[in-house]
Amino acid sequence: MNTMSGDFRRDLEIRRYPILVYTLTPLVALVLQAWLPRFLAGNAWFDLPLVVTVYFALVQRIPIQGTLMGAVMGLFEDALTGHAIGVNGIAKTVVGFLASSVGIRIDVDNHTIRLGLTFLLSLLSSAIYVAVYRVLLGLRLEWSWVIELIKSVANTLIALVLFPTLDRLQIRD
Amino acid sequence: MESFFIRYRNVLVLLTLLVAQIVGLAVQVRRTSFGRNSLDPQDGPGVRLIRLWASAVVSPPERLIHQAKLGSATLWSQYIDLRHTQQDNQELQKTIDRLRLEQAALLEDAKQGQRLQALLNFQEKYIYKTVAAQAIGSSGSDQSRVFTIDKGSDFGLKPDMAVITADGIVGKVREVFPSTSQVLAINDQSSGAGVILETTRIRGILRGNAIGQPQIVGILADQRIQPGEKVLTAGGDLIFPRGLPVGVVEKIERDPEPDRDGFIDVIVKPAAHLDRLDEVLVITAVEARFSTQQQLDLATSEALKGPEAAAIEEQKKASAIMAERLPGLIDPNLPPDQQPLLDSSNPSIGARPPQAVHPDRFTPGGASQAAPGSGNRAEPGTDKKAATPVNPAAPPAPQNAGTPQRKPQP
Repeated sequence: MNTMSGDFRRDLEIRRYPILVYTLTPLVALVLQAWLPRFLAGNAWFDLPLVVTVYFALVQRIPIQGTLMGAVMGLFEDALTGHAIGVNGIAKTVVGFLASSVGIRIDVDNHTIRLGLTFLLSLLSSAIYVAVYRVLLGLRLEWSWVIELIKSVANTLIALVLFPTLDRLQIRD
Repeated sequence: MESFFIRYRNVLVLLTLLVAQIVGLAVQVRRTSFGRNSLDPQDGPGVRLIRLWASAVVSPPERLIHQAKLGSATLWSQYIDLRHTQQDNQELQKTIDRLRLEQAALLEDAKQGQRLQALLNFQEKYIYKTVAAQAIGSSGSDQSRVFTIDKGSDFGLKPDMAVITADGIVGKVREVFPSTSQVLAINDQSSGAGVILETTRIRGILRGNAIGQPQIVGILADQRIQPGEKVLTAGGDLIFPRGLPVGVVEKIERDPEPDRDGFIDVIVKPAAHLDRLDEVLVITAVEARFSTQQQLDLATSEALKGPEAAAIEEQKKASAIMAERLPGLIDPNLPPDQQPLLDSSNPSIGARPPQAVHPDRFTPGGASQAAPGSGNRAEPGTDKKAATPVNPAAPPAPQNAGTPQRKPQP
C-alpha cells in the first residue's frame, strides 16, 4: 500500500456521477448563492460555489478538472458581483487545484478530513481574494477577518450536509 | 519534451489559467490622476461578454423562483387574506383625497418656483419617467452590493441610470443586458453618489464600507454634524436628481486611514431598505417639466380642489355663525373692563359660588379676615370647622381675593 502511486490510487477510487449532477449542482450553487442573500439581509456569509468546487475536486481527483471547475465557478461569481472579473476566479482556481491534488493523497471518504479541508480551503480562498484585490490590483477594500472566519465555518457546516447528500448521488458499480 | 508537458500538465494548466486571469485583471484596472488604482467603470467587450454569460445562466432560474414566490404571495394576498381590505381601501381613499388637496396647494409654490428659476436661468430637473422593476437576485458576495433586476435594455434602461424607491435612493444601473440589469447599490464599496447634509449643507461622497453601511467619506470634522440629520442627493453627480432622500446620519467616525487626521466618515442609515428590496424604480428620464402623468394628477387635484375647498369654506362659515350665536368669554371688540366675563348681568356666565353662611378670613370678599399673625385661631363667632390650620408665614390674602381684578382706569 505504501508503494501505491497517486495515479494508481486515483484510478482505483475515482467516483462517477450522472451528467445531471455535474451540470446542475454547480448551476444550483450559483443560483442559490445569488438568490439566498436577499433573505439574509444581504449578508452572504457562505460560499456555495466554493463548497461544490471543493467537493468535486476532492472526489474526482483530477487536478485539471478541479482547476477548470474552480476557474469557471470563480469567474461566474465575479461576473455577478460587478467587481473585477478574475479575483474570485484566481482564488477558486487555486482551491480547485489544491483540493484535487490533496484528494489523490488522502482518504476522501473520511468525513472529518473533508470538512477540515473545506474549512482550510475557505480561509485560503479568502486570503487569495484579499491578496489579489489589494496587492496585485492595488484596489481599496475594507476587510474583516472575523467575517471570513464565520464564512469558513458556515461553509464547513454546509459541507457537513451537502457532501453526504452528493455522495448518495454517485454511480455505484 | 512531450514527457515534460505530460508530466507537468496539471501545473501547466494551473499556471496558464492563473496568468490568463491576471492579464484579464490587468486590463480592467486603471490608474487615476490621484495615483491610486481604480476599477474601470466601462467594461471591455470580453468582460462584458462574461457578465452576459453569467447573467444568462443565473437570471432565468432566479426569475423563475421570483415569479413563483410572487405568484404565491399574490394568490395569498389577493384571494385569501382579504381581511380589513374594505377598511384599508377607505383609509387609502381618504389619504388620496388629502394628498390631492396638499398637492394642489403645493402646485402654486412649484409653479412660482419654476417661474423664478426661469428668471434665474436655472432649470430644475424633475423625475419625468420611471420604469418599475423587481429585484430578482444579488451578487452572492458580501464584498459586493450588486443586485439584479428583471428589466434591461428592452425597457429602455441604460448604464448610470438612477435607481430609487419611494423611501429614497438605492443605487445606479451598472450593467444592462437585454432582459436584466445589474444595479450597484449605494452601500457598495465601489459606488459613489454626491450627497449633501440638509441642515449644515456639507457636501460629500457616499459609498459603502466593508459591512455594507453607506458612509460619507473624507469630509472635514465638523461639530455641527449630529446624528439624525437628513442626507439628500446633491445632484452634482449627474446620476441622482437633486433633493432625493438618502437617509439620516447614524454616527460619526474618524477616518481610519492614518494620513487623514482631521477627516471623518459619516455613517448613514439609508432611507431605502437596501437589504430587503423587492420593487424599485429606475429613472429613465429627467426633464425640466412635469411628466404627463404628473400633469394629469395636478389637473385632477385642481378639479378636486374647487368642491373640496368650497366644502371647507362652508364649514368655516357655519363655525363663524355658531360662534356669533354662542356667548364668548372674551370679546376682542370690547375694552378689558367691559368683557362679558366681568359683566354680572350676563346670563351666560356661570353662577357665582353661593355666599358663605359663616364667612371667615378665607371667604372671597369676606370682611372678617384674620389679621396677620393671628395664627390658626378662629375668630369669635366663626365656625370651628372653618378654622383650618394655615401657614403662619403665608402673606395676607388680598382684599378682593377670589374676584376678578379690574384694571385701574387711566
